[in-house]
Amino acid sequence: MSQTSVLSSLSEINEKYRMFRTITSETDAGDAKFLFSAKDNLTSKDMETCSGSRILEGYRPPFDATSIARMREAGGLLVGKTNMDEFGFGTFSTNSAFGVPRNPYDLERSCGGSSGGAACAAAVMEGHVAIGVSTGGSICCPASFCGVYGIVPTYGRVSRYGLLDYGNSLDKIGIISSNASDLGKYVGIMAGADPRDPTSCVQPAIGARRKLESVAVPKGAAEGVSEAVRKAFADGLEALKGMGVDVETVEMPSLKYAIPAYYVIATSEASTNLARYCGMRYGHQYGDLSLKFDDYFTSFRSQYFGEEAKRRILLGTFTRMVGFRDRYYSKARMVRQSIIGEYRSVLRGCDAVLTPTMPFVSPKFSDISIMTPVESYKADILTGPPNIAGMPHASVPCGYDGDGMPVGMQFVADHWDEGVLFSAAEEWEKNFDAVRPEVSI
Amino acid sequence: MKIGLEVHVQLPTKSKLFCPCPTTDAPAPNTHVCPVCLGLPGARPMMNGKAIEYGILLAKMLGCTIRDTTWFARKIYFYPDNAKNFQITQYDRPLGEKGMYYLNGKKPIRITRIHIEEDPGKIKRVGDLSSLVDYNRSGIPLAEIVTEPDLSTPAEAREFLGQLIRDIRHTIDIPDDGERSIRCDCNLSVGIERCEVKNVTGLRNVERALTYEMVRQTKLLKAGGKVVRETRRFDEERGVTISVRKKEMEADYGYIDEPDLGIFNVKELADSLKIKESPHNMIIRLTKEYGIDERTAKQFVSTSVDLARLFEDLAAATDAETARTWTSGAISAGWRAFEARGGKDASEAVSIVRDFTNGKITDTECGLRIKAFLTGTDVDSVNAGSADLDAMISEYLDGNPSVVEDYRKNEKAANRVIGHVMKQTGGAYSSADIVDATKKLIGERL
Amino acid sequence: MDRETVEKVARSAHLKLTEEELEKFSRDLVDILGYFAMLDEAPDCEGFGIDPIGVADVLRDDEPRMELDPDALLEGMDTYDNYVRGPRLL
Repeated sequence: MSQTSVLSSLSEINEKYRMFRTITSETDAGDAKFLFSAKDNLTSKDMETCSGSRILEGYRPPFDATSIARMREAGGLLVGKTNMDEFGFGTFSTNSAFGVPRNPYDLERSCGGSSGGAACAAAVMEGHVAIGVSTGGSICCPASFCGVYGIVPTYGRVSRYGLLDYGNSLDKIGIISSNASDLGKYVGIMAGADPRDPTSCVQPAIGARRKLESVAVPKGAAEGVSEAVRKAFADGLEALKGMGVDVETVEMPSLKYAIPAYYVIATSEASTNLARYCGMRYGHQYGDLSLKFDDYFTSFRSQYFGEEAKRRILLGTFTRMVGFRDRYYSKARMVRQSIIGEYRSVLRGCDAVLTPTMPFVSPKFSDISIMTPVESYKADILTGPPNIAGMPHASVPCGYDGDGMPVGMQFVADHWDEGVLFSAAEEWEKNFDAVRPEVSI
Repeated sequence: MKIGLEVHVQLPTKSKLFCPCPTTDAPAPNTHVCPVCLGLPGARPMMNGKAIEYGILLAKMLGCTIRDTTWFARKIYFYPDNAKNFQITQYDRPLGEKGMYYLNGKKPIRITRIHIEEDPGKIKRVGDLSSLVDYNRSGIPLAEIVTEPDLSTPAEAREFLGQLIRDIRHTIDIPDDGERSIRCDCNLSVGIERCEVKNVTGLRNVERALTYEMVRQTKLLKAGGKVVRETRRFDEERGVTISVRKKEMEADYGYIDEPDLGIFNVKELADSLKIKESPHNMIIRLTKEYGIDERTAKQFVSTSVDLARLFEDLAAATDAETARTWTSGAISAGWRAFEARGGKDASEAVSIVRDFTNGKITDTECGLRIKAFLTGTDVDSVNAGSADLDAMISEYLDGNPSVVEDYRKNEKAANRVIGHVMKQTGGAYSSADIVDATKKLIGERL
Repeated sequence: MDRETVEKVARSAHLKLTEEELEKFSRDLVDILGYFAMLDEAPDCEGFGIDPIGVADVLRDDEPRMELDPDALLEGMDTYDNYVRGPRLL
């Protein structure tokens, strides 16, 4: 399908799958070298940017996020902004204030989240390069649920200038695509120091591509996962062994603290990042000026933030409060250090740590609606650890369940060692029989 | 009574703390702004290295311990002038702590800490309608200096601030735009409970605010009431402090560390930076090292630090007493003329005095040469000038011999001569010259 | 995590909760904090831990520069006379 014809079919595709919040008005691909989409929490000058939230309805940023700018400079045409959980708060993209993307393998199931729209676009439009953002699992979860490849580079690899912050010490910009080779290619384009994001300025060059020779599976990694995931993961391990990869088991006792520590740090930071959304400067403004400032701010925030956003703001405000800060915020930071230490220690003895990506296949929307917050937080149990540690990690499809729903497995490499992940994904793709979703419009 | 101050001083960087927007006067509201200082979604701070340097210099000036590593924090509070509704400041790891600063060289004022933070925007008050915010000021670097409650009176607090500002200006060259760049949060307790008066601009207002607060608390306690711990603000027009925040709205700032900036290893930089000696410290050192009295030392330093340095050079070349005599005499007398004609290097004066101490020239000759050098004329004109002056004085003494007799009893008698000559010459001679010549000539007649 | 605490937290976060929200969030927070309690048993660890990769000493020169037109930045904002308009203070 030519690039121009892809452009003209976007509206129709979106009608069915709801992956896009905004679609470009461009009808001719011109001399664009490639088409790409960006999650709607990355600023785009020419398209509204809402980060999945009503509080930013109508916001037109005056600058492009560095990741988008670099893709454009490399000849990319931004075709649209993808739907997501509000500000990244979610694992199923159901907390979107706008469209909720539908899984191309089963329209009654979630695409995962929070970069659900990105993974959906990648799955539906073969070879589509989608920029996603991961904080606690928001790239690999949807990649796994949608049967595509996703990579989260090391924290600090891709500039976050122009990313609407969820957790500043956790957010990472990455790539989702049905082509494994896109991962290395486009991370390479976006990566590199950007003075506008100081955390991107201490990176060494991307680790050289090298063959994946050994992986370590943490004990208990496959416990508590669904039968379908357990089986597909076991198949994946066998396939790796067949490719000549050495598979070992390791103890990683600190990983079980990753999810609570992640949620404490993430919500603490998020509650401060969201303070600026108050009915001034961007998004909804022009409120009731008879209200005093505290009430004015409160009225916007209460009206326009969704339920999950409010929940996380409350949580994150509490974990920073006097009397609780030490027990939660400070402790969680310490726990992060232990997890990083454990990963780095294990990765001295192997190329990557390997687990299933998600504990189950994509759930039905009806099941999601009755999940408690803790249940949905626990869905991040396998993606949380590399995310809190800032380790680069990638998800590859490794099997399908009885209903044809995809299962993914996740490789975690050492800081800055994306090279081994790029090769691992590319090698895996050669040997894996991917089942593409039936896309009929 | 106990008074503690939190002093906010704008650092004189050319660009803002976290973005390259200019810090100089902007042509109109919101013209020196960018996504960072406007708090636009997706923008993030970039640290200005010069601000850290200035911070270190001030920390050293205050005798603070500077940690090896420092970092920044977010202080969350909602206000229209706060572009992100949080301020990036320092919390767990301020730049400097536990310093000591001597008021007038004697009274020690403990410095709790010094840290760097960003200024919020400015709100133009429009009565009780909406607020109008100008973010030009948003992101300008501030140093916050916190003292322990070691100050005892409003006047002392003002004196402390005055000295502090002079020393800060000397250390990091803050432009002399009066009191505009200094803001204080003032804490005062007459009894047990203290109140904070926030955001007072300028020295005079600090004293006024503290005085009012002192009187208010005293009256309250005398009437048998209790002082409630609270935050107040100072109404400049009416000269009163007004209660601002109710207790329930007491902000819990919910500090977290600022991940976007990372940490700063400042030990090496701190070790390499040397501060200029503050005028205040110089005065103390001169009295101690050279055995001169404080008044003289103060005269030297406040006339000019260069003059004080010249005194030291002179003392090294001859001795402390000689240096003192000539510096407070002929050299001070001609100093203003020297500066007026753009003179920079006064080391010639040292050679001249050396010639005198070596016996090569007389003390009169020495005085003439110094004067000639400093005023940029030649010895002959000086001589001629002073000859004229001597002639005028002698003429007066000839006509008023009783002056000499009166002088024997009371030196003030010379004033009649001085007054006369000053009137006659109408400023052609410096008063110092006239006094010297008069005393010399009277002395000759005694 | 009693009702009073949730109300205090909400006020601090500038959120006004309905009666239902107050009840629901109180329950949620109790659950979630119950889950977080496992952090108490996690071992302590060294390190500043501000970010995972040890960002340090990233500085910029003190050179003034304006890259974007301030008028363009103010375009989407509620302004009056080039001031940004916000709610009243008193």
